[in-house]
Amino acid sequence: MTVLRRIAERPSVRTLGSVVAALVVFAALLVAKGADPISGYRAMWDSITRDSGAFGDVVVRTSPYLLAALAVVVPARAGLFNIGGEGQLVIGAVTAFAAAEVLDQHAPRAITLVVMAIAAMLGGAAWAALAAALREWTGTNEIISTLLLNYLATLLLGWLVFGRWKDPTSTGFPRTRSLTDAERLPIIWGRVHVGVIVALVAAVVVWLVINRTAWGFKLGVLGGNVEAARRAGFRTGALATSALLAGGALAGLGGMLQSSGVEGQLRPGIMVGYGFTGILAAWMVRQHPLKAILSSFVLAAVAVGGNGLKIREGLSAASVNILMALMLLAVLGWGGARRSAASR
Amino acid sequence: MIEAVLTGAVRGGTSIVFAGVGETIAERSGVTNLGTEGSMLCGALTAYAVGIETGSPWLGAIAGIAAGAILALLHAALVLWRGANQVATGLAITFLGIGATSLFGQDYVSQGVEPFTPWAIPGLSDIPLLGSVLFDHDPLTYLSFTIAPLAWWFLFRSATGLKIRAAGERPIVLSSMGIDHRPVRWLAVAIGGGLAGLGGAQLSTAFARTWSENMVAGRGFIAVALVIFAAWNPLLIVLGAYLFSGAVAFELELQARGTDVSIFLLDAIPYVVVLAVLALMSRRRTHAAPESLASVFDAAA
Repeated sequence: MTVLRRIAERPSVRTLGSVVAALVVFAALLVAKGADPISGYRAMWDSITRDSGAFGDVVVRTSPYLLAALAVVVPARAGLFNIGGEGQLVIGAVTAFAAAEVLDQHAPRAITLVVMAIAAMLGGAAWAALAAALREWTGTNEIISTLLLNYLATLLLGWLVFGRWKDPTSTGFPRTRSLTDAERLPIIWGRVHVGVIVALVAAVVVWLVINRTAWGFKLGVLGGNVEAARRAGFRTGALATSALLAGGALAGLGGMLQSSGVEGQLRPGIMVGYGFTGILAAWMVRQHPLKAILSSFVLAAVAVGGNGLKIREGLSAASVNILMALMLLAVLGWGGARRSAASR
Repeated sequence: MIEAVLTGAVRGGTSIVFAGVGETIAERSGVTNLGTEGSMLCGALTAYAVGIETGSPWLGAIAGIAAGAILALLHAALVLWRGANQVATGLAITFLGIGATSLFGQDYVSQGVEPFTPWAIPGLSDIPLLGSVLFDHDPLTYLSFTIAPLAWWFLFRSATGLKIRAAGERPIVLSSMGIDHRPVRWLAVAIGGGLAGLGGAQLSTAFARTWSENMVAGRGFIAVALVIFAAWNPLLIVLGAYLFSGAVAFELELQARGTDVSIFLLDAIPYVVVLAVLALMSRRRTHAAPESLASVFDAAA
């Protein structure tokens, strides 16, 4: 028994158990809705394993989720909550598109894509900088400001897509012109684009920077104890700002990967919910940048599986949000290492 | 124009008043609940569905309160029993609310509910300007006029309110009196969720009179933001809620009158107003925060 107990107490086992529990509760809710959970899960499973293309969709979806998760991870290191991934993704896509417009197909593909990526990171960072500036100068809580900035980013996108960037030939749903081949990320396999590798590299870089650089160490001190950071002579305001900007840049890059790698144009409603999913992905693994690869992949599979739930079972596509939320709640409450429950 | 904006401010702000007052009570006990948005959604759908099944919007509103409170109790369970991080839990709760109302709301999308209808108060509603702004509303809006003073009395004059505030400031004081602060927090979070659910009910059965997916559209998050603006004072929540929805009514009025400015820029006005007001107020407001809330903003937890 003690062996069994020791196994059950292992963080990885507890996390796995939490995910299974979430699957069971979701099944119960499907029953309550009058749906057949077995065929529901089969529809989800089929829609991610049907063929290599479907599996590729999951792989591709992992990259914006992962970058949105990393956008949470870095500020969290400094004790900050970035709830603005949603808006920073959108702004990244917008500034990348703006860069493509400025280059106007005059530059070779490699340069075009690098410039677009840099523009996306600057855009995302600038959007986060608004929250950082409000925090630094007025003491506005960054949770609230990044949350509100999400709505403004979405409206900005709508303004551009319905306005100056509207493709005059688009009928029905307004959208921008299609990105040219030189503005699209190269495909490695099926629908899987280079951005997937970029996202994986970003996760490794974030891990290295957090754990192996002086800046990462300082962020950790700041996140652990503000007073200690101040006593050590760190410029705490600048550190916090830099962490938020880095987070914004990561999310911005994620926006470019999705728009240039998958969408191929801008439209209203692009990447809705991706930023929030990234938050779930980050918290499922307690902000560990490498483990976030796995959580982003799992959430991507759930999201893509949701298409099957919609098409085959006729259930609303947003239903899978339940499963995602339950997974995080189970992990927050029961997963990972045992924590003192009475702390709050 | 002024009349339309002021009337719109009250009509559209009612749901935010309920949710904001509720969140104020929860935060006064030391618990932030970003699941307020989710509680509003659950309240909106449950009230709508029960309203349709029973034909009574009143039963719907009561069911909406229950639905909002139940979701908030899940938040309380994770945060207070399992020691989970409040911000992450709250966001997950909202996600859960979005998904659950999307799943169970599918069948109700194009159905009509017996709505709350406006009760024009005889005499008072004939007063120029003031009459239509204040005295020609649905019953839940009249209820919202009383909720902030009631909550103020509850927090600052009742014994339970004192315990809630003590739990939020110095739980150790309660311990020294032999009172466990955790049941107090459970209660405050449940009240907060119930009021958010009532706000949602007003939204679906009195304001919009329809159910559509994700119809709360950020009002719950606005309510949470307004708590800081209001310096954790339920009376000031009303001001903030009317400011936000007044800005919404203002830009809708501009749209209706036809203007060259893009609707997307007009739609941004309410959010910019809230951000700007928060930025102007934040320095002063932070000192008013219940002391235990400080631990909420600890991402390392």
